[in-house]
Amino acid sequence: MLEIKDLHKRFGDTVALEGVSLTAAPGEVVGFVGANGAGKTTTMRIAMGVLAADSGQIVYNGAPLDVAARRRFGYMPSERGLYPKMKTAEQIAYFGELHGMSRAEAKRAAAALLEQLNLTERSGDFVQDLSLGNQQRVQLAVSLVHDPEALILDEPFSGLDPLAVDVMGTALKDRAANGAPVIFSSHQLDLIERLCDSVVIIGNGKIIAAGSVEALKAKEVKQLRVSVQTPQDLTESLPGTVTRDGDDYLVEDADDQEVLRIAAAAGRVTHFAYDQPTIAEIFREAVTR
Amino acid sequence: MSSPTPETSRMRGLMLVAGREIRVRGLSKANLVSLIVTVVIVGVLAALPTILGGGEDEAETIGLAGTNAAAMESQLKAAGGFDITMYDSAGEAEQAVEDGDVDTAVADGTLYSEENPDQGLQTRLDAAWQAAAVQTSLAEAGLSDAEIAAALTPRPLATVTLAEGETDPVTSYFTGLVISIIMFMMLMTPVQYIAMGVVEEKSSRIVEILLTSLKPWQLLGGKVIGLGVISLVNLVAMVAVGLGVSAATGVLADLPPGTASAAISTIGWWLIALVLFGTLAGGVGSLVSRQEESGSVLTPLIMSLTLSYIGAIFTLNAPTSTFAQVLSIVPPFSAITMPTRMAITTVPAWEIALSIALLVLAAAGALALGAQLYKRSVLYTGSRLKLSEALRRTA
Repeated sequence: MLEIKDLHKRFGDTVALEGVSLTAAPGEVVGFVGANGAGKTTTMRIAMGVLAADSGQIVYNGAPLDVAARRRFGYMPSERGLYPKMKTAEQIAYFGELHGMSRAEAKRAAAALLEQLNLTERSGDFVQDLSLGNQQRVQLAVSLVHDPEALILDEPFSGLDPLAVDVMGTALKDRAANGAPVIFSSHQLDLIERLCDSVVIIGNGKIIAAGSVEALKAKEVKQLRVSVQTPQDLTESLPGTVTRDGDDYLVEDADDQEVLRIAAAAGRVTHFAYDQPTIAEIFREAVTR
Repeated sequence: MSSPTPETSRMRGLMLVAGREIRVRGLSKANLVSLIVTVVIVGVLAALPTILGGGEDEAETIGLAGTNAAAMESQLKAAGGFDITMYDSAGEAEQAVEDGDVDTAVADGTLYSEENPDQGLQTRLDAAWQAAAVQTSLAEAGLSDAEIAAALTPRPLATVTLAEGETDPVTSYFTGLVISIIMFMMLMTPVQYIAMGVVEEKSSRIVEILLTSLKPWQLLGGKVIGLGVISLVNLVAMVAVGLGVSAATGVLADLPPGTASAAISTIGWWLIALVLFGTLAGGVGSLVSRQEESGSVLTPLIMSLTLSYIGAIFTLNAPTSTFAQVLSIVPPFSAITMPTRMAITTVPAWEIALSIALLVLAAAGALALGAQLYKRSVLYTGSRLKLSEALRRTA
């Protein structure tokens, strides 16, 4: 269990974080969403110990997160960085060693990751000679080489090609399946929706919405969408507030069973369900509220 | 994965960083090529005296005639180093000098020479002339050759040197010069590479990942150790080739005694100075975010290194002056000046002790300052940080 508790951080006169808390249970993939400058990167940097918070703490498995435990974390910073003049495989293995692996273990892990990322034939090349997309894959390998037991990833999908997105997504799911808490931020809300168990939305340094994907969606549900094959106009006959959306009827504030009965009497019902907002809609709603 | 104790993982982090520097920088093509080129140059230079004929002095050609000519001949032959031609008259001898058959001629108490004869030659000829005159007089007085020889070769003065370990001043000067040049080079190169490395990590933002598993002091310390090892290996390779070639060509026997001990003590001074300059270089390097800006923050360090070197050269020429004495005690100048001064003159033990103590103190201060600067500013990106801002920032 990774808990970020009540973080506060100021940069000069700018308040970056104002009581940010979020948790990731073992095996839980948490999506961290927010506009640019909302405080995602600051929160993750503090969690990784790269930045010190003014107050608040990071608790991992019941104890304050220390250097030794953090070394077993995987981290991908928003601003990517690699040694340009170091060979690809050597570089990945070096980070494995920094995370406490033996030389041989690190080399083996690096080779396996390069294989997985289709980079085996570039192992001996300098990182600066790789394309940007391939450098991103190396960055990914660097964050995964030591088989991390928790992941904190800042925009892990930005700049990745579809293959690398799949590898990254699979990696996140695999870690989570092994019981690792995973926190990642992204602006690609469809990815968040696909991969995450829960979502945390941050705005101006404060958490404005948090919860499991289902719960968040359920909270936002209001409208019943009904499609009926009928020549009649049911606007007047359906109970509650009824609006038209193309050929569909959107019904609010009514007993859904009565709506169904009236609609079925009028013709063949082809669609009858509450509208589920996408994460993107929830996000827009939360941010503008 | 095993969980090592904090102590071992601390050392391991430091050594991993140092190891990376050695692998990536030390084994880089650029470094290997420059090392090979330098080693070849050193080898050739060491072999040069032998190639050019072992440095034997050319024999002076001299013409003799007139009074005492025979006695002069025997004196000059005994002294050696002269190629003697006898002439029948002073006129002939003079003509021979004019024609360039001989460099100089001595006839009837006159020295003929095309140009002013050099001081050394004139002194030797004067001495030979006086000895020859005495020899002739003694022979005229009826002494036997053996008696004359005994009279002319008194036991030379025994020399007792009161200052200890006094060596030939030319050799000492040369040793001092070599020490100052090597110290300067061996500090300049790692200082620049340390700063470059720090800026590289900062500008590529890799430092953010590094700092999740390393402490700032490990990152900085590992760099200083790694680049120090590279410099030392480069130097040892150069010295080994230089000495090896000298030994093979037989020049080695000429090395002054105490060369080895001077070399070892110089390495000691270098180690302290490396900590001093290296950590400061890392600290000021972290103030900037781009490689182009590193020159400006390094300037004070490069300046003080250059001044130390100039101070050392000054010391070579005036080792007993008050200025040299002060420079060789005050850090950071003492790092280069003191070992240089120790090579050329005898320095009182208390001055050496004081100099070491102050340098170690300065190195400890630099370590603290450099590490603080580094810790506070390495994650800051954007325009160059002012020193005062960096020190005011909380890490």
